[in-house]
Amino acid sequence: MEKFKIIFYPDNKTIEAEKGVTILSAAISAGIHINSSCGGDGVCGRCKVILKKGQAVSLPTGRITAEERKKGYYLSCLSVAQSDIEVEVPKESRLDSETISDEDAYMLRLKGIFSEPVDIDRGEAIISEELFIHSPLATKLYLELPKPSLEDKISDLERIYRAIRAIQDTPVLQTGIANIRRLGELLRSSGWKVTVTLGKRNGTTEIVIIEPGDTSGRNYGFAFDIGTTTISGQLIDLNSKKILGTKAAFNKQATFGSDVITRIIFAQEKDGLEKLHHAVIDEMNVMIQELTQENKIDLNDVTCCLCAGNTTMIHLLLRVDPTYIRRDPYVPTANFVPVIRALEAGIKVNPRGLLDCVPGISSYVGGDITAGVLACGMDKTDKLSLLIDIGTNGEIVLGNKDWMISSAASAGPCFEGSGVTCGMRASKGAIQKVKIDPKTFTVEYSTIADTQASGICGSGYIDIIAELLRSGIIDRGGKIDPSLTHRRIRDGEYGKEFTIAFKEDVGTAADIVITETDIENLKRAKGAIYAAAAMLVRHMELSFNDLAQIFIGGGFGTYVDMPNAVFIGLLPDLPKEKFVFVGNSSLIGARQILLSHDAILDAEEIAKKITYFELSVEPNYMDEYVASLFFPHTDLSKFPNVKI
Amino acid sequence: MALELVKDKWVNAVSVLTIGATKEEGGSRGRIVKCGGEESLPFLFSEGKIPHRPVIAMEVLDVEPDDWPRTLTSAIGPAIKNPVEWAQKCESEFKADLICLRLAGAHPDAQNKPVDQLVKVVKDVLKATTIPLIIVGCGEDKRDNEVLPQCSQAAKGEKVLIGEVVQENYKTLTASVLADGHSIIAQSPIDINIAKQLNILITDMSMPLDRVAINPTVGALGYGLEYAYSIMERARLAALSGDKMLAMPFISFVGYEAWRAKEAKALVLEFPKWGSELERGITWEALTTTAFLQAGADIMVMRHPKSVELVRNHIEELMRG
Repeated sequence: MEKFKIIFYPDNKTIEAEKGVTILSAAISAGIHINSSCGGDGVCGRCKVILKKGQAVSLPTGRITAEERKKGYYLSCLSVAQSDIEVEVPKESRLDSETISDEDAYMLRLKGIFSEPVDIDRGEAIISEELFIHSPLATKLYLELPKPSLEDKISDLERIYRAIRAIQDTPVLQTGIANIRRLGELLRSSGWKVTVTLGKRNGTTEIVIIEPGDTSGRNYGFAFDIGTTTISGQLIDLNSKKILGTKAAFNKQATFGSDVITRIIFAQEKDGLEKLHHAVIDEMNVMIQELTQENKIDLNDVTCCLCAGNTTMIHLLLRVDPTYIRRDPYVPTANFVPVIRALEAGIKVNPRGLLDCVPGISSYVGGDITAGVLACGMDKTDKLSLLIDIGTNGEIVLGNKDWMISSAASAGPCFEGSGVTCGMRASKGAIQKVKIDPKTFTVEYSTIADTQASGICGSGYIDIIAELLRSGIIDRGGKIDPSLTHRRIRDGEYGKEFTIAFKEDVGTAADIVITETDIENLKRAKGAIYAAAAMLVRHMELSFNDLAQIFIGGGFGTYVDMPNAVFIGLLPDLPKEKFVFVGNSSLIGARQILLSHDAILDAEEIAKKITYFELSVEPNYMDEYVASLFFPHTDLSKFPNVKI
Repeated sequence: MALELVKDKWVNAVSVLTIGATKEEGGSRGRIVKCGGEESLPFLFSEGKIPHRPVIAMEVLDVEPDDWPRTLTSAIGPAIKNPVEWAQKCESEFKADLICLRLAGAHPDAQNKPVDQLVKVVKDVLKATTIPLIIVGCGEDKRDNEVLPQCSQAAKGEKVLIGEVVQENYKTLTASVLADGHSIIAQSPIDINIAKQLNILITDMSMPLDRVAINPTVGALGYGLEYAYSIMERARLAALSGDKMLAMPFISFVGYEAWRAKEAKALVLEFPKWGSELERGITWEALTTTAFLQAGADIMVMRHPKSVELVRNHIEELMRG
């Protein structure tokens, strides 16, 4: 097979690629990131490169202008080398977290691809009482073993088992051969003083790690929420249950498509699954690195990880082909994934450390929802409650301790601060509370951590739309009144826009605005979520008024103005006392499971109990959805308390 | 025991839309047209009053149409070259209830006529006819926003019906129509929710409910008629059940749809088995129209004088009960 040498600039990296391999694929092998949101279909036109030397051929594309062609531009996904070549990856095609400029970061953020891991709210427990006893996924025990003698000559391994059982009731113990092979030497060289890490593995207890000396004071774990758009990670001291740090970043898989369906399709392409897998693992490893370094923790003392995520995300995390999730009858490969070694999935912690995933419910309702239900305690009460998780895939669970039913609606990432012009996640500097004076259109806002504003997060968008409606700047369809003239209102690239903060005042590269296109996206997102909730409640022949409590989850940071969320028609028209803001309930649930074996047993029960209602086959869903594409709703009688 | 028919009881009626104003009312029309007001489903006289019969508007273009089949153009005759004569002929010879003047020449891809020329056509048609007028733009938002408010102003006092507004573009025209005392056509893409949303948006601008006509968009026989029919039926059921935001008369551009159908236009030479194109085109328009009469359409905008006659006779028969 003929091979060509390809040099990529400005990285100056060289790779040999077999003839016929696209320049994009070669770049990925070389570890060079080139943007591509269509997954190499030649559709998005984001993977442009400039040929500096040598010959290449390309399939025809309308994404390269005549002028660009003259300059040597190629779409890397459609082009292959014909000789040794040298190519430059231009700025607009690069994704480089080291050198990324504000402007690029801003553009990538819009596409939901880039964000540095940022500190976010840790997610306080929703139910204040301790529901689960402290028994983490991995615990460390320091053992001082009696030396063997003629009177006490049981084997080394049994000696360890006996010592463990003297401390705790552990009927089924197992140990891997690797540990047994080292055991004889290790016990003797350590003077019979060792620390064993015990992992809860699928109904048994495994001796995961045996280390010399006493390291039992240093036992850490990670809880992750792997969302389609956002990945959140939390470092926890497993001994003290203390949260040491929480970070979030956008899921880089968005390079290959913004929703799960596009990613499943992409996974079927050559190396597609591999690329998706790496995108998520790399992001998790970056977070693990940063959080352990910030807390001066040795990676070897991180003994376990617990991941909650939607079903597709978990498949991709484990490099399991997700193809069948989107094929009728929509069956995933696994909802209940056994505990494995974190390293098997590529997570860089202690090489023998464990990885557990929260069990999922169906193809489109995953372990993140199981974790959410657990965190809200929905399975422990007679009272009827509803959990609405406002994410890229909006999931809804309805029920109580006797029954539960779930549903999912594709809402898009805008409430997570992605896919909207000035969106950002709920972290430092995000505008989260907004008031607009109906007469002067003066904007008052507050940001997370009260720092200079740098963007708008989901809760900010909810307030902005409500305030724009109240002040008559937009109509119920979401269009800015064309007859208004004001310095905050202008025509932009994406229709009219309203300025929330001027760049001179906040020091950003551009004004912080909301455009008509943003409003349209937010309207669709809120419509999908409301429609799904309404359909599910109606399906059970209930009404919203029958609900005792509604839990609202999502990446909103610390705050959602419930009356405003009702005002725009995101949530049903109920008294605000009924709403409980729970934030990232998936991460909270994942932490609980990481810290208690009882919680994982409960989670399994929940996952088994929840049934799934498929909205896509429900003929009325589309109708309900279009009716919801209005502020607050086409059927105004459903929102009797909303007066615009 | 005598068989008793099941009767539905309805709580709401369709609003009554008035088009045209006589001298006494500040206009210059010889008569006015009232439509809507139904208290029951179409022609079910036993369930409620149907105070006004469905009416027929005939379509007149400000420019000579270039895509109409010969069967259609020849029926109108040489007057088709002149909107004023064409309109007069619709009134005196074809007995239309209304004229629907479509300003096709305003479209940037067509003749992109200047506003004053278009306004003049409106004025001339008003002067030459005595029946009420409907004015429809070219369908290009920007151009319509430029042209239609001027036409609205020029026709002030005549209580014309002007359109069309859509969800993405309704404010400019609604404001003029409101100020000049006319009524408005709200167009939605065969979608009951969007129809209602647009009505809410328009009435949020304080347009009275009885000055709005819904164009739910229709499809010709063989081209989605059933779907359009079911949307209209649902909207009308909602209206009669109390939804005021859907309780407006329907205007259906049946002629436009029917004459786009291949079955209406194709020559007998092309499809010998299909029979005479003259008869076929007329039948296609008439059948499409009568179907939508049953769905609740109140204003039929039609093209061929012969199908107009057929439909008029059909309406008379239906209205006898």
